[in-house]
Amino acid sequence: MPDFEERELVERAKEDPDAFGALYDRYFPQIYRFAYSRVRDQSLAEDVTSEVFFKALRNIRRYTYSGHPFSSWLYQITLNAIADHYRGQHGEVELEEGASLPSGAPNVDDEVVRRDRSRRVWSAIDQLPRHQRAAMVLKFGEDKKIEEIAQIMGKSAGAVKLLLHRAVERLRRELPPEFEAGLT
Amino acid sequence: MMNDPELEELFQDPAHREVVDLLKMSRPAAPPLDPNFRTYLRTKLMTEARRTLEPRATRRWFPFNLSPKALVPAMAAVAAGFLVVLGIQIYLQNQPASGMVAADLRGIQNKTNVATAEPIVIPFSGPIDKNAIADTVVIEPATSVTKQWVGQNLVIIPDHPLAPNTTYTVSLKPRAVPPTPNPTNPTSTPRPQPAPTPVVVHFTTVKAPVAPVIPPSYLSANLSFGQESRLADAGTVFNGAWTLNGQLLVTRPAGQPAPGSSPGPSTTATVSGVAGPATTDIWLMSTPSAPIRLVVPGGSFPAAAPSGGVFAAWQVTSSNQANLGIWDLQGNSQGTIATLASVPDRAPVWIGSDRIAYINQGRLVIVDVHGGHVNGRAIRMQRGSLGGSTLGSLVAVESVDGSTVIDLTSGSLNPLPAGATGFAWSPKGDLALVVPQPSGSYLYLAAGGKNAQRIASSPSGQTWSDLNWAPDGASLMLASKPVGASSSASRLMLINADGSGLRDFGFQQEYSSPQWSSHGDLVLFTRQDEAGGRAFWTANTAPSEGDAAQKQAMAEVDRFMQARLQGDGTAARESLDAGGLSAYQGGASSLMSPAGSKYDRYYPVTVQLTGSNPNKFLVGVRIFVSRSGVQRSFFEEQLSLVLKDQRYLVDAVASTPPVQLGHGPTVLSFDVVPTSPGYQVRVKFDADLRPETVTTDTVKVRDSDGKLVASQITFDPDNHTATLNLTLQTGSTYQLVVTTGVADINGVTMAEEYHAQVISR
Repeated sequence: MPDFEERELVERAKEDPDAFGALYDRYFPQIYRFAYSRVRDQSLAEDVTSEVFFKALRNIRRYTYSGHPFSSWLYQITLNAIADHYRGQHGEVELEEGASLPSGAPNVDDEVVRRDRSRRVWSAIDQLPRHQRAAMVLKFGEDKKIEEIAQIMGKSAGAVKLLLHRAVERLRRELPPEFEAGLT
Repeated sequence: MMNDPELEELFQDPAHREVVDLLKMSRPAAPPLDPNFRTYLRTKLMTEARRTLEPRATRRWFPFNLSPKALVPAMAAVAAGFLVVLGIQIYLQNQPASGMVAADLRGIQNKTNVATAEPIVIPFSGPIDKNAIADTVVIEPATSVTKQWVGQNLVIIPDHPLAPNTTYTVSLKPRAVPPTPNPTNPTSTPRPQPAPTPVVVHFTTVKAPVAPVIPPSYLSANLSFGQESRLADAGTVFNGAWTLNGQLLVTRPAGQPAPGSSPGPSTTATVSGVAGPATTDIWLMSTPSAPIRLVVPGGSFPAAAPSGGVFAAWQVTSSNQANLGIWDLQGNSQGTIATLASVPDRAPVWIGSDRIAYINQGRLVIVDVHGGHVNGRAIRMQRGSLGGSTLGSLVAVESVDGSTVIDLTSGSLNPLPAGATGFAWSPKGDLALVVPQPSGSYLYLAAGGKNAQRIASSPSGQTWSDLNWAPDGASLMLASKPVGASSSASRLMLINADGSGLRDFGFQQEYSSPQWSSHGDLVLFTRQDEAGGRAFWTANTAPSEGDAAQKQAMAEVDRFMQARLQGDGTAARESLDAGGLSAYQGGASSLMSPAGSKYDRYYPVTVQLTGSNPNKFLVGVRIFVSRSGVQRSFFEEQLSLVLKDQRYLVDAVASTPPVQLGHGPTVLSFDVVPTSPGYQVRVKFDADLRPETVTTDTVKVRDSDGKLVASQITFDPDNHTATLNLTLQTGSTYQLVVTTGVADINGVTMAEEYHAQVISR
């Protein structure tokens, strides 16, 4: 959808339920996919997706175009909803930036044995620290520009680049040897 | 391979680029997605959007079409009677002498049973500037409409059906047509001006009909009598009929108490305000024998429509006449169709969902739901059988001159066998009937109402009556008794639709008048009680018990289900073979209840052998899911059990989507009313509530900072209205919050929290 069409649709959605429905139809798949990639639980992904769109509905009149796609705003809400959830759960199982992947990475090792390369590398991404994981999913799963990722995550473009670089470096460094063999 | 300049700039190291290339080539696996969730969420969102998104009054957001072609359907709709006339008190400025022209507003405002597909017709009583008026019309919640003029009537046709159970507001600023210019002084011609204050009309659409649910695995042919329970003592319920959602409409002696209240004469009830010297009332009742609400004071003989969530019944008027009317299950009158000199002794008969037949002064009368007569034939009837096809247009009549099927579409008559009576139409449109014989009865089936064929004969010395179809149309239930015996000797039997498989349903000798519920899991019948009176009972149905192998398979199902109900996944998996385990792991169904919910109970629905293999059974089970202690939904699984090493194990499973049991109460509307001092916020619900759940903890108002506004609350159970008394700043915006703590009288809580913006004016 061309940018101007999306902006027109968003403006209409501020007072036209059908236009809001069209936005929902357009963005549901990627928001649900993004939510699931972060929480890895179908029921929880449904809760988050529901919360995102209801928040969007309640606040759409406050939305103003800032040069980024409308989806960036939805991704922002998604990240906040996920953060709220984990805040309520007393903290996501989170790795420190300096920590390594789980010792022996039994899950990853199992995955490596059983799954194809694509599944393996995405399983490894699941083990990354929260911000690195978000940046990687948005970049490689949703094909977002770095500037847009920065806007979604509330960080500078430089910070996002750093997150991506660290994430790729960790993947290169810590994936099992047989995986590296598969790369060549 | 990298073709993303951002990534090429960021990753110069070849080792990094290899990882990035792999990432670019791959995608995360598609997440598991319940296809119903997307639709469910959309529906909820759209409901909320229609409630909260308001169009700007100055904007035209709908097409305005005056094409003659479009007038045709509008006029047709008007002619068909699908007409909502919103009489509006309209003051037209610039009118001579009297200055203003008033139209009739009586009985129009706040109409609560507007059909969702009706055009809205606004009549005007004087010369008006049509285009100017159209510019000012606003409907909230925002609705896409086409507007046309038919004479002096503005016809507003929604492009899509209106949302059910929703309060709409139509506002417009009428202005008069410009007067003829004064040729001597053109500049003195006054220009029409919009009225200073818009005319505002509120109306509420009908509730969404509850569609009957026939689970796919439901097979009446395999059912037998389960547990029975008394619905009411003899003399306390005179007749009853199932609604589509498994509740009962019953006729009770007048003045029976409501839940939690003292008995009082029904003539004081105010449901419709037209009751006369009533001797009976119609109540909506739940199957656990709980009266839910009085729906028709002075009413009798309710008959639920095959669809649409309404019923027809007789109601005594103050002049001892009988009105034939239609009501919804809230007791809201949908209209009076006919008035008779006295109350007939039988229920009106639906023919499809848009025609009703009854007998008046020895004549058959068929009318549409607006009271217009349908058949022109003079058919004499006394006490003969009368049955309307659920699919519409066909009615079977046992007239004085013989039995026949009338096709209301073509007007043709299809004669039935001499003496045919006891008509029962199946959900598939087939007619069952009995023909009494000297020593028994013949059972006939007329497929599509034609060519009746005898399919069974009663055992010698037994007569059959009270035919009633199972909801899957595969079986008939009937009452059988010895020739010449009283109904105390009657018992219930099942027979397949092809006349085979006659068998007992229950073992008592005193049952008659069976009626299947629309879900097929219950049967309503009458039973002679210990004192000789006839009382209404219900019985649930259960799969027939078969041989030892079937019992063994069912025992395994019970073991499996009990483990799941107790949340014991390990024990549940012991009932699965590799195929069954794989099926559950593959998402064919959910072995254990999802987080936040609980498998609350189950019962088997069907048991059947697979082909000729005696070692494989298909067992249908219905599983009820609860959240927060309240059953919210059920779904069904079809389990395939195979015999392995002397034990039946589940080797495959298929499941149905969940069926919601109830959504709990919902907020119908709210008003903010200035009082002295302070304000009242009145919140109207759509259901009878447990008063103890309506408190300032569950119904509250917050200010713009989210702070709770102190309030006192009162609750009017008759009008389902909670009233908050509180102090608000004039012109400020607040948030009304109704929490999920509010529960209806069945204990079902609100499905979701309700939020609405409140502006004090």
